[in-house]
Amino acid sequence: MLQTNSYSLVLTLQFLLLLYDLFVNSFSELLRMAPVIQLVLFIIQDIAILFNVIIIFLMFFNTFVFQAGLINLLFHKFKGTIVLSAAYLALSIFFHIWVMNLRWRNSKYFVWTDGLQALFVFQRLVAVLYYYFYKRTAVHLGDPRFYQDSLWLRKEFAQVHS
Amino acid sequence: MENARPCPPRVLPPVPSGSQDEVPLGRSKRKKVKGIHSLDIIVPDAVRRPFESIGPLTSEAQDAAPQRKRKKKKMPLELESSFTKQNGNFLYPEPVEENLTRKPRKKVKKTRPTESANELGVEDEDIIEEEQVRGSEQQPVFSAPVIASQPVSKVFVEKNRRFQAADRNDLIKTTENIDVFLDMKSSWTTKDVALSVHHGFRMVSLFTHGFLAGYAIWNVIVIYVLGGNQLSTASNLLQQYKTLAYPAQSLLYLLLAICTVSAFDRIDLAKALVAVRGFLTLNPAAVASFLYFVALVLSLSQQMTGDRINLYTPPSENGSLWTPGTEEEILQPWMVVNLVIALLVGLAWLFLSYRPQLDYSEELFNAEIEDYPPLDKEGQVS
Repeated sequence: MLQTNSYSLVLTLQFLLLLYDLFVNSFSELLRMAPVIQLVLFIIQDIAILFNVIIIFLMFFNTFVFQAGLINLLFHKFKGTIVLSAAYLALSIFFHIWVMNLRWRNSKYFVWTDGLQALFVFQRLVAVLYYYFYKRTAVHLGDPRFYQDSLWLRKEFAQVHS
Repeated sequence: MENARPCPPRVLPPVPSGSQDEVPLGRSKRKKVKGIHSLDIIVPDAVRRPFESIGPLTSEAQDAAPQRKRKKKKMPLELESSFTKQNGNFLYPEPVEENLTRKPRKKVKKTRPTESANELGVEDEDIIEEEQVRGSEQQPVFSAPVIASQPVSKVFVEKNRRFQAADRNDLIKTTENIDVFLDMKSSWTTKDVALSVHHGFRMVSLFTHGFLAGYAIWNVIVIYVLGGNQLSTASNLLQQYKTLAYPAQSLLYLLLAICTVSAFDRIDLAKALVAVRGFLTLNPAAVASFLYFVALVLSLSQQMTGDRINLYTPPSENGSLWTPGTEEEILQPWMVVNLVIALLVGLAWLFLSYRPQLDYSEELFNAEIEDYPPLDKEGQVS
């Protein structure tokens, strides 16, 4: 059974990482006095996303549902979060590489092209969806049903095996 | 009883002088004490018939003796000793009796602190004030106790290897509060944590909705004021607004992201059926989330223009991004988009304010848990 204290701690860590991600997404264009500042911010952001993905998977592994072997059930229930997290991580890394490649020589350059603009919009939109789905998943994993045997789990098990 | 009445009154025994009478007298006193439960009962009889009452009292005492063994043990020594002493003074004033009664007094005094340490609550009948006993000693006859005995309000509690006086009521209250706190803490489940986080975010986002609406409108007003009528002062707008362009853009994205997530939370976008039904029925939360999402897309689409404004230098300068005559072409759609964003955000805020308590995520979260209780509570499924 998931302990309340450990869950609170994990939830706090997840929200801090999300807040950092939102902060960088919002203000990274402002903090471009030197290219290295943006580089460090982007690297930490990508690591934060990776950490968040690892934490959410560790939370999945900790559930009774996963330990009972119903991995498909977990994936089906949280597929939005998994897909969006992976997509957001890929988009972020891609965008960061592109922008840093263009701005490495001079951070004051006007680097925007249509392609970069489209990628920027896409990455920021997926970021918002990622925040929503990730937050929802983190909150829903506090559901006691995932950590004990229940009628719901047996019904789901029967549906999977039928 | 009929036979007893016509009998002549007993003849008083001669004043005892020898040691032969000590033992039987002592026994009779003991029996008398055993039979007496409280002073209230015995006092009137004792007053009226001091000598006649010995007979029936002793018979009662014999009958009730096995039942009241415990009472006898708990009976305070002062009562016992004073009573016997008074009887002794009244009937048999002998120093030998005092010696007999002093011995148990010490024993009882030793045992009393352990009782009070074991249980804080003291029964009223266990304590009799010394003044009351003294008063009854001074009076020639027994009288009922006027002041009810009460437990001492102070309790000595060991803190830091020292005993400190503490009020009994306060001590009981604090222990009760600690128990309640521990119960609350133990009953705080992961579900409660999750719901409290959800409530916290909803409360923060409620402020953000209003702030965003106000900020977007302020932003539009600033742009249009600086631009002048028909963008007559476009260069002035660019000069003034270029320092504000990126901070405004960044803040707009931050607020829009929080508000969009909050609106999605309210409609529970992850449940596709619920979300679609909300859109079709023009649910306020669904409409608001759509408006926020459109505003977000529009805001992000202006990133290139925002950077161009941020890097503005007059067209006459070398390396300027702005060529003469293009200012109005670029600024006009940008201003309109900002106006649309402000309108969308304001409308979304109005829609959400229509039903601020609406939150499908929490409803579904609670409903799902209540629908499927754990098996431990309702037994195993066959």
